[in-house]
Amino acid sequence: MAKVLEGPGMGLLKKWGINVPGYVVVTSAEQFNPLVSAHAWLKESRLVVKAHEAVGSRMKLGLVKVDLDLAAAQRAVKEMLGKTLDGGMTISQVIVSEMIPHKEEYYISVKSTREGAELMLASVGGIEIESNWDKVKKISVQVAEVPSKDELTDLVKRAGFGRDLVTRVAEFAAKLHQCFEQEDAQYLEINPLVSRSGDGELVALDAVTLLDADARFRHPDWDFSFAAEFGRPYSENERAVMEVDSKIKGSVKFIEIPNGDTALLPAGGGASVFYTDAVVALGGKPANYAEYSGDPPDWAVEVLTEKVCSLPNIKRIIVGGAIANFTNVKKTFAGIIAGFRKAKVAGKMNGVEIWVRRGGPYEKEGLAAMKTLESEGFLIHVFDRNTPLTDIVDMSLKKEAAPSRGKAGTAKTKSGRAGEARR
Amino acid sequence: MSIVANRDTRVVIQGGPAGVNAARRMAEFCHLVKAPLTVQAFVFPPDAGKINEVPYGSEIVSIPVYKTVAEAVAQHPEINTSLVYVGPDRALGATREALNTGSIRLVSMITEGVPEKDTKLLTRIAREKGKIFNGPSAIGIISAGECRLGVIGGAFDNLILSKLYRPGSFGVITKSGGLSNEIIWICSQFADGVTTAIGIGGDAYPGSDYVTYLEMFEKDPKTHAVVIVGEMGGDLEERAAEWYGAKKRRIKLMAVISGFCQEVLPKGMKFGHAGAKEGMKGEGSARHKADRLREAGAIVPATFGGLGPAIKEFYQELIAKGLVKEAAAVAPEVLPRLPKTIEESRKSGEVLVEPLVKTTISDDRGEEPLYYGYAASELINRGYQIPHVIGLLWNKKLMTQQEAEIIKRIIMLSADHGPAVSGALATIIASCAGISMAQSIAAGMIMIGPRFGGAVTDAGKWFKYAVENKFSVDDFLNYMKANVGPVPGIGHRVKSVKNPDKRVKELVGYVKSLNIHTPHLDFALEVEKVTTAKKDTLILNVDGTIAAVLVDLGFPVESLNGFFILARTIGLIGHWIDQKQQSSRLIRLFDYLINYAAPKKKDVPPLK
Repeated sequence: MAKVLEGPGMGLLKKWGINVPGYVVVTSAEQFNPLVSAHAWLKESRLVVKAHEAVGSRMKLGLVKVDLDLAAAQRAVKEMLGKTLDGGMTISQVIVSEMIPHKEEYYISVKSTREGAELMLASVGGIEIESNWDKVKKISVQVAEVPSKDELTDLVKRAGFGRDLVTRVAEFAAKLHQCFEQEDAQYLEINPLVSRSGDGELVALDAVTLLDADARFRHPDWDFSFAAEFGRPYSENERAVMEVDSKIKGSVKFIEIPNGDTALLPAGGGASVFYTDAVVALGGKPANYAEYSGDPPDWAVEVLTEKVCSLPNIKRIIVGGAIANFTNVKKTFAGIIAGFRKAKVAGKMNGVEIWVRRGGPYEKEGLAAMKTLESEGFLIHVFDRNTPLTDIVDMSLKKEAAPSRGKAGTAKTKSGRAGEARR
Repeated sequence: MSIVANRDTRVVIQGGPAGVNAARRMAEFCHLVKAPLTVQAFVFPPDAGKINEVPYGSEIVSIPVYKTVAEAVAQHPEINTSLVYVGPDRALGATREALNTGSIRLVSMITEGVPEKDTKLLTRIAREKGKIFNGPSAIGIISAGECRLGVIGGAFDNLILSKLYRPGSFGVITKSGGLSNEIIWICSQFADGVTTAIGIGGDAYPGSDYVTYLEMFEKDPKTHAVVIVGEMGGDLEERAAEWYGAKKRRIKLMAVISGFCQEVLPKGMKFGHAGAKEGMKGEGSARHKADRLREAGAIVPATFGGLGPAIKEFYQELIAKGLVKEAAAVAPEVLPRLPKTIEESRKSGEVLVEPLVKTTISDDRGEEPLYYGYAASELINRGYQIPHVIGLLWNKKLMTQQEAEIIKRIIMLSADHGPAVSGALATIIASCAGISMAQSIAAGMIMIGPRFGGAVTDAGKWFKYAVENKFSVDDFLNYMKANVGPVPGIGHRVKSVKNPDKRVKELVGYVKSLNIHTPHLDFALEVEKVTTAKKDTLILNVDGTIAAVLVDLGFPVESLNGFFILARTIGLIGHWIDQKQQSSRLIRLFDYLINYAAPKKKDVPPLK
């Protein structure tokens, strides 16, 4: 699932005939002023100004200002743009939108399910919805089908909408489902949905849009980039790895976690999470999440390795991995080794211990190559398939805690040692 | 016994190079378990009509490539399974095609990054048709001792280490491809190995899930326990727990779950698999899954490391109860080995190959070519020149600077002799006929022979013979007259004593100025004195001069024509380029340049 910011999200709703408030996304105060002549509502309506960034709790951070006239909105835009938040992030975009006068607020969403989608509707909305979840009524829609008029009318009635709104809400729900299907969405939530005072038109005031990033190939009009979903934008190193990932066969993934002491450089989407679990379970602090898989080229693994080695204040790097099916261990390890060497020259490996465990095609050659790093002054411990998957995490973290340092430091023939102990 | 894939499974692979690679891995497994090849056909429109080669034992099997699944199945009606190896944008179409093909019962898709909607659609089609759709992002399915679909199981050595050549007692279902091998390995080390192992892929809503296969394992008497590897996100593990807890089950369910780290890591973080993400309200967390599974009676060790011992404990219970017999150890030497390539066998000293070719001059197997043992770059860096390379490759000697200078002059003097000579003319005619460079040069080369440029070797041969046998000039000329004919290297069509060949004068003058020992040149000049006394044009010509000098320098007789060929190639290339740049027209001889001496036109008599 990939999150889309409010501006492009609203754009997709509009494309499928859903009313949204007037809005403009601006990156500078200078850019905002000329827009006033092009959009009458900027002068005529009350306005909302919000930071257009992937940050959580915008309200709390003072990044949402409501009920403004144009002059106040202009001030708010100026104030918000360029503001630096605690995490070091800078607001580079704001969205200015039209306030829609209304009396009641409603809730509607479509969510991906195993069979297709679930349409959820409530005649309450806004912040009320959390405490009124029992009022949300649902219908299921099979993939490649559309909900019938009768089904929708029944849903709207069950959700407690007044007779005057039934047809309009049912039509709105049909459009939202169509948008969901056609845009390869995985979650669309409109909260609040309002009936505009005066003409009674239904307008989507705020929307959460999650799309299926894998479907990008058939949506040439998706000209926006996806937003990070953990309350901060991607860092420069994360973006660099994503860039590599988009170019290669196989994959490389990298997400930074602040204040960690243990860097992770494991192979495999599945094994990497077990390694992260093992670090957390033993009281270590992961400095990142990373993963390479699908036999990526050595240069891509090298880039990933450099980023991992650049993590601040790390004490150890866990180069873990299960027994690969077709990822060439010798070749991918060559990328890791090259990355380690570069990092060492850059002075990033001082006091950092490397722990390796891996199996798969050309495992002997790959592990032997890793072991040669010992003679180059790396603090490295190399294990083969006979050492259970996550034991290197146990050893690395327990070793730090144990007073007798250095004993296990000379990695001789570690293959089989843990295997024997097991029997 | 096994589920899903067995000895009757016959496969079409939809896809290109990745699919061919999978077929090779599958053939390795067939070889190991002495089963016929499972892959019968490929479907890959760009290569339709071609064949893919797959090594099977020590044979190479040719497997046809078709444009459509329907064509493949028409030709190979035994096909009942399809493996999809196409890109995500074509995965929907390819898989739908396979599911809509009557005889295909199982479709497994390795493609990653398939849109969720497409998967749901395919799942629906499979359900309506009563077929199994496995994947996307699924590494494959392997039934020990029976059948391998995809690259699951890894390299050949790993198949043996993980005892995949014969069935064990454990079923395996994993989302992760890499961990499938790990679990198979653990089952083989802590117990007797697996019956069938299945990768279902890491998407949130895979075509088949744990429950699909748990139902089948429950009915497979050889499977006594099933190990599932789950992770946070989605509800597949909860569904497995629900299935397991619903009634008393014959099989034991064991599980490891990843994603506990999510409890301390930033919310919303994305892990390796598409489905590996907690719900917005914490549903689908690793803890939730592990708890549900434990409540349902499954064995869920606290950590991944705890899995092996748990498997071992359960296996020993099975033995104690007499449900399984401890598997007899198989000596690795009785198992088929993967045939080694000639290179591997030679490395390990198992075969002796009689070489087809022997070379004594150069070697290009290292970082750079060695010319008679000397690295090309070192020769360059130490100031050696092209003549030295010629000396090494033609005569296996590193020449002195003086000798190299002579060679250089010989080449410079022989590089070209205008367009009128037969070699250049042939090249020019070819060039004007639109013939490419290599063939045009070859046309000129063909002209080199006894009457044009090809007398060097013969001249050298006879001068050498004379000097070796200490002939006097008269003896030599008599010998030649009696046994050979005209002396090669003596005589010229236009040059004479009065009109000397400047090239000869130049070369002889230079060589004589060096004060080196030149018995053959001296002898040749003595011969010239006698022959020119008889006839003005019987001078020592350029071929003869070059031949005598080269023999004096120690070049073997066989190499001598090479100097002319090499030198004149420079000229021939020049003529070809020259004509090309002029865009010259096709050359056709004018009638007046031909003497038509053939009979005049006659009546053709009736055929008798």
